[in-house]
Amino acid sequence: MAARYDTRTTTFSPEGRLYQVEYAMEAISHAGTCLGILCNDGVILAAEKKVTSKLLEPLSSSEKIYKINENIACSVAGITADANILINDIRLRSQRFLFEYNESIPCEQLVQMICDFKQAYTQFGGLRPFGVSFLYAGWDSHFGLQLYQSDPSGNYGGWKAACIGANHQSAQSILKQEYKDDLSLDDGLSLAVKVLTKTMDSTSLSADKLEFATLTRDGGETKFTYLDNVRIDALIKVQQEKEEAEKKEKERKAKK
Amino acid sequence: MSIMSYNGAAIVAMAGKDCVAIASDRRFGVQAQTVSMDFQKIFPMGERLMVGLAGLATDVQTVSERLRFKMNMYKLREERDIEPVTFMHMISNLLYEKRFGPYFCEPVIAGIDKHGKPFISSTDLIGCPMTPGNFVVAGTCSEQLYGMCEALYVPDLGPEDLFETISQSLLNAQDRDALAGWGAVVHVITKDQVITRTLKSRMD
Repeated sequence: MAARYDTRTTTFSPEGRLYQVEYAMEAISHAGTCLGILCNDGVILAAEKKVTSKLLEPLSSSEKIYKINENIACSVAGITADANILINDIRLRSQRFLFEYNESIPCEQLVQMICDFKQAYTQFGGLRPFGVSFLYAGWDSHFGLQLYQSDPSGNYGGWKAACIGANHQSAQSILKQEYKDDLSLDDGLSLAVKVLTKTMDSTSLSADKLEFATLTRDGGETKFTYLDNVRIDALIKVQQEKEEAEKKEKERKAKK
Repeated sequence: MSIMSYNGAAIVAMAGKDCVAIASDRRFGVQAQTVSMDFQKIFPMGERLMVGLAGLATDVQTVSERLRFKMNMYKLREERDIEPVTFMHMISNLLYEKRFGPYFCEPVIAGIDKHGKPFISSTDLIGCPMTPGNFVVAGTCSEQLYGMCEALYVPDLGPEDLFETISQSLLNAQDRDALAGWGAVVHVITKDQVITRTLKSRMD
């Protein structure tokens, strides 16, 4: 059935599907969740770290969220080794643009470039696609703060809130209900914690399982900051207290 | 007509006690015609590292843009600032890659390393590095600069005295050169901060 049409990336199946691309997306749905939220004064990237053995030496400051250039950052879901290749490529492309035009690359152009690169692996060469989806958070002078998502097929979209990785469908539906236009950064952070609490596999959330970063504009400069563990723990605590209060309120109403 | 004296420049860097200073003139000219008096020849490459480029102006700009490319990639990959001696090797490599069709520019590097030790060096246009320890010069009036520096320099000057010394060396040398001058800019780099001063000189 699918067997004859899925061994080569460049072959369509009779139903018109590219199986290798779909299998790549399947690989990503086992990876740690990443979500992005566009607020009126910043973009939030939040991610769940899958591997948290205490034996693990931290290689770099981050496993899921990376800075691309002064104005753009991204978070990764999927095969980390594939992601490293692509992140390096994205960084080089943005520097080449800066070298040629002496201007920071606009977000959508960068996303398009890397998507074109990913698409090539679905059409020729006989190589498998990259098993990575990205969420890009960025600022440019043309469209301000933006959030994009791209997947192994080379498709991309601009979003107000998006989620990739494990349980992304449930996270996406929660975001659809809860997201409001014109969120402040703090509201966005609370929303991110709320969604992660509801969709993560692990029973209890703690800062060492999460990575949070924000991209904001301040005085003509773009600031990309990782939230430290203290701040993340505080956010989690506030969210847990809120949920406790809501639960008690419900019980009180049910008793009546 | 020599390519290296088509535009004209005067760049000097000196080492002091826990500080370095780097200074340049501000003239951009095409042979005898002066075109602008605010041409940037010194470029920051980190919190405590600066590079000055003398020579053909178009190569000064291209090399500084290529260095910016490499520096940005270095910072993203290594997640730290580059050490001055590593940067010197990077420039040397960049220039030697064009060994048989070189960039017509001579860099001067000044910075403080992670231990707080001052570092200055320069290379020739094909990347041969030189780390003398006291002062380095480059540009169309390099001979005058050598003379001034040799006469005025004393080791282990503090930031304020270093500023005076390097300013006098630069000003008096560029006054004796038709192609360099029209003002000067001096940066004094210490462990904590960079102080930038612009000097008014003979505007001819």
